[in-house]
Amino acid sequence: MSAAVFARPTLGQRLLGPWHASVEFFRLLSRRPIGLAGFIGIVFFLLLAFVAPVFVPFQNDPSLVDIYLTPSQAHPLGTDFQGKDVLNQIVFGGRDILTVAILAALVSTVIAITFGSIAAIVGGRLDSAILAITDVTLTLPKLILLIAVAAILRPTSFVFLAVILGLLQWSSLLRQIRAQVLSLKERDYVEAARSLDLGLFHIVFREILPTMRSYIAIHFIFAMTEAMYAQVFIVILGLVPVSGSNWGIMLYFAQGQGALFFRDSIWYILSPILAISLVQLSLVSFASALEDIFNPRLRGSA
Amino acid sequence: MTTAIAAKAQVRTAMNPRRYLGDTWRHPIARAFLKAILTIWVTTTLTFALIRLMPGSPVELKIDELIQTSNGALSYEDAKAIASSLFAINLNAPFHEQYLSFVWNLLHLDLGSSFLSSGTSVTSIIIAVLPWTLFSVGTGLLLSFVVGIGLGLLAAYRRDSLLDRVVSTGGSLISSIPNYLIALLMILFLGVQWHLVNFTSMRGAYTSGMQPGFTPAFIGDIFYHASLPITIYFLTQIGHWILSMRSATLSALEEDYVTAARARGLSDGRIRTAYVGRNAVLPLVTQLAISVGLIVGGAAIIEQIFAYQGVGLRLLAAVTQRDYPVIQGIVMLTTIAVVIANLAADLLYSKLDPRIGRAGGASG
Amino acid sequence: MPVLSVRGLSIDYITRRGPVHAVRDVSFELEKSETLAIIGESGSGKTTLAVGLIRLSPRGTKVSGGQILYTKNGLTTDVRTLDDDDLREYRWAEAAMVFQAALNSFNPVITIWEQFNDTARAHGMKDRHRVRDRADELLDLVHLDAKRVLPAFPHELSGGMKQRVLIALSLMLEPQLVILDEPTTALDILTQRSIIDLLKQLRERLGFSMIFISHDLSIAAELADRMITMYAGRVVEEANVGDMFYRPRHPYSVGLLRAVPRVSGALGSVASIPGSPPDLMRLPKGCSYAPRCPYAIDECRASDPPLFPVDTPRHQAACFRWKHVAEVLGSNAEVPVAEKLA
Repeated sequence: MSAAVFARPTLGQRLLGPWHASVEFFRLLSRRPIGLAGFIGIVFFLLLAFVAPVFVPFQNDPSLVDIYLTPSQAHPLGTDFQGKDVLNQIVFGGRDILTVAILAALVSTVIAITFGSIAAIVGGRLDSAILAITDVTLTLPKLILLIAVAAILRPTSFVFLAVILGLLQWSSLLRQIRAQVLSLKERDYVEAARSLDLGLFHIVFREILPTMRSYIAIHFIFAMTEAMYAQVFIVILGLVPVSGSNWGIMLYFAQGQGALFFRDSIWYILSPILAISLVQLSLVSFASALEDIFNPRLRGSA
Repeated sequence: MTTAIAAKAQVRTAMNPRRYLGDTWRHPIARAFLKAILTIWVTTTLTFALIRLMPGSPVELKIDELIQTSNGALSYEDAKAIASSLFAINLNAPFHEQYLSFVWNLLHLDLGSSFLSSGTSVTSIIIAVLPWTLFSVGTGLLLSFVVGIGLGLLAAYRRDSLLDRVVSTGGSLISSIPNYLIALLMILFLGVQWHLVNFTSMRGAYTSGMQPGFTPAFIGDIFYHASLPITIYFLTQIGHWILSMRSATLSALEEDYVTAARARGLSDGRIRTAYVGRNAVLPLVTQLAISVGLIVGGAAIIEQIFAYQGVGLRLLAAVTQRDYPVIQGIVMLTTIAVVIANLAADLLYSKLDPRIGRAGGASG
Repeated sequence: MPVLSVRGLSIDYITRRGPVHAVRDVSFELEKSETLAIIGESGSGKTTLAVGLIRLSPRGTKVSGGQILYTKNGLTTDVRTLDDDDLREYRWAEAAMVFQAALNSFNPVITIWEQFNDTARAHGMKDRHRVRDRADELLDLVHLDAKRVLPAFPHELSGGMKQRVLIALSLMLEPQLVILDEPTTALDILTQRSIIDLLKQLRERLGFSMIFISHDLSIAAELADRMITMYAGRVVEEANVGDMFYRPRHPYSVGLLRAVPRVSGALGSVASIPGSPPDLMRLPKGCSYAPRCPYAIDECRASDPPLFPVDTPRHQAACFRWKHVAEVLGSNAEVPVAEKLA
């Protein structure tokens, strides 16, 4: 595996680090057009979701005379089944989705890091037990379980939803963290820290995790894409009590109201589909570029 | 590195005469079975906890509902008795006995009865729909696996060629778009905008009125009805197989035994299949197991979009109708189906890789 | 006519920073039934050369010049000009190769028998019974039990057994030439010993020519008739094995000989050569060994010495100061260099 890539920074690198590192990073990124496009896409959607709503007035009044309008000057993406402006909904519909995706990725990453490193460092029975639980979780048909859990628990808060999503998707990351930590564990500086009796917490958080930063960042992004997939999945199915507006809810209504089969409503349906797909594509291509940059052994592969 | 870890694990096993769970977990075949049993147990327990232990759980709700709809004719005890039979849980027993009897009933495939059509057992409902999901998911998965592996191998052999770029970029593009969005796009363009496909005629698992049987007409018909879900499962999985196979092939090509086979003057075709391909495909077989669970889950929304009568569509209907015994039953039987598919993949893997399974006997 | 005659062979690795000259202008000849040892540090180009001889160089490698002339029954062909089919036939049937990593030289998912059969079929032996008889005979030759070995998967055999199987497999088509790349490196001392004895026996019985690549001089000394020392992709010395050990004329060969552990296998007695091999992309002007050489003078840093014939027959060294080296060592033929300098 790529353990050798995660070299320990020297003191000088740490002091000058952030600036040099980011200059170098953008230099490497600029050589990967797809990754760069992904990065720009992510920045664009973050701005759209979190900054644009501050400057644009929220339009939530149904207008029966304006339903299913094709794109025009007043409504650049047309209107929906209630005559609401589609563009406005796209602008306001990203925040919740992205927030939940980030929170869920955070939950799963924290679980994976904590238990993955504990398993690798403590070893023995605890390791086997954690590995067993991980393998079981990996096998479970998670989306089926998600449907059942959502149907019975009816998550109304987005934090609750994020926690459920996070709880379902930590397993593969945990296995990889465990493998990484197992290999890093044998390194000299970790041995040194252990002989100094610096404690488990110190070894994991001060010695091992810093060397895995890029690795964790990449997996965080992939966890976001998974969380977003699962989230929109249950929203479209109408399993999350509907309130407010987001891209998934737009699709739920579009399907429920039969707008899908209405020829003129194509922009109404296409807009949230494109928004979700573009966010996913941006995340994936940026994460792949990161992998390419931080894991040079695989460099040159497309 | 992984081999180093494995070797270390073996050393540890050899030094420690006590056999504990950890050792079993490291033996591939024992692990596959243990994992299957554990997974089913976890799902069962989780379902039991959700149905029974949550405050305001479906069981309590049902008892209240029964008392109310009977206008007081039913006592709490009577209502509880009815709920007991509906959920296949003996509600009068202490919790741990309720749990044990629940597991016992599950072992007998007694999953209770549907709320809505009383008397219809949940098992019979599921048996009517599960085969369709397994059929469509299985076909889509196998097709994508076979085609993806072929393309991935080809891309790796022609690394950095135009074909490689098209195939790998296309593969990663299509695998990052959620499958339900692709399904919606298909309806939107193929059906509504361009009128290429008549979606209404493809609803259901087969054309109603057709006589089920092993006749060419019926088999053709079920493929016709399943073609859209199969296409989606195919499209959303193929990218993954292409990319995995491509990188597995690239690393297999660097192996010494491939160079050695060339030195022996073996033909390119023989090297490609038996030396590179066979070794590259091995790690993908384990991924096949994980994919089964993923697609079966995703199938729920695909079946809803295309109105295909599989287990996912039935699950969603049960959710809307709050038919909890059906929800519970589907979750458990689907898990069991997925677990069996996993077990099959794990056993297939140990059959394909001679290093697995025999290792304990030969080198120990 | 020699079996193999290599003339001015040069092999480059093409990298983004430019070509790396891994093998530079190498020439040597190998007679029938003769054993040639090629020695050098890792990175000296010896493996690249060996693999180049059967045109099996990895992606991104370019043979930039020279000839590899192979002679059989009085007919001489340049291996570089063979087409794909002839090349496949030349590999193994004429020149078999036993790899450095014999441990990984077998496909892990098929049995040893299938790998024998694959090799036979690739060279037109379709009759499974005859292949089976031949495999039995060969495994018997390397002192292995065919009944146990053939149905086994590679992981079921020990390292030494795999190496024996690979040697047996290399002899399947009765090649004139067997190339062995570090055939004993990954093995323990006792197994190394038995493999060397085996190779000696086989060579006497079957009379093939051998090219033997190693960084372990003691093994080379036992098997070789002639020896080549390589440094930075060049041949720096070529001699009969006795002359190389007792009368080396290139300072690098001297350094290598000093690096031999005196009590076989004992750690700590290895006198390594100070410094490290040069960056093949930025070779120093003049002799590439000059920066590490204790005898280097200005002339060495100014131009690269060609191979000079030295005081013993069929012996060449690429050193301006070979006479000085000869003086330092003396010409006492009784004590090997390693003892003398320690």
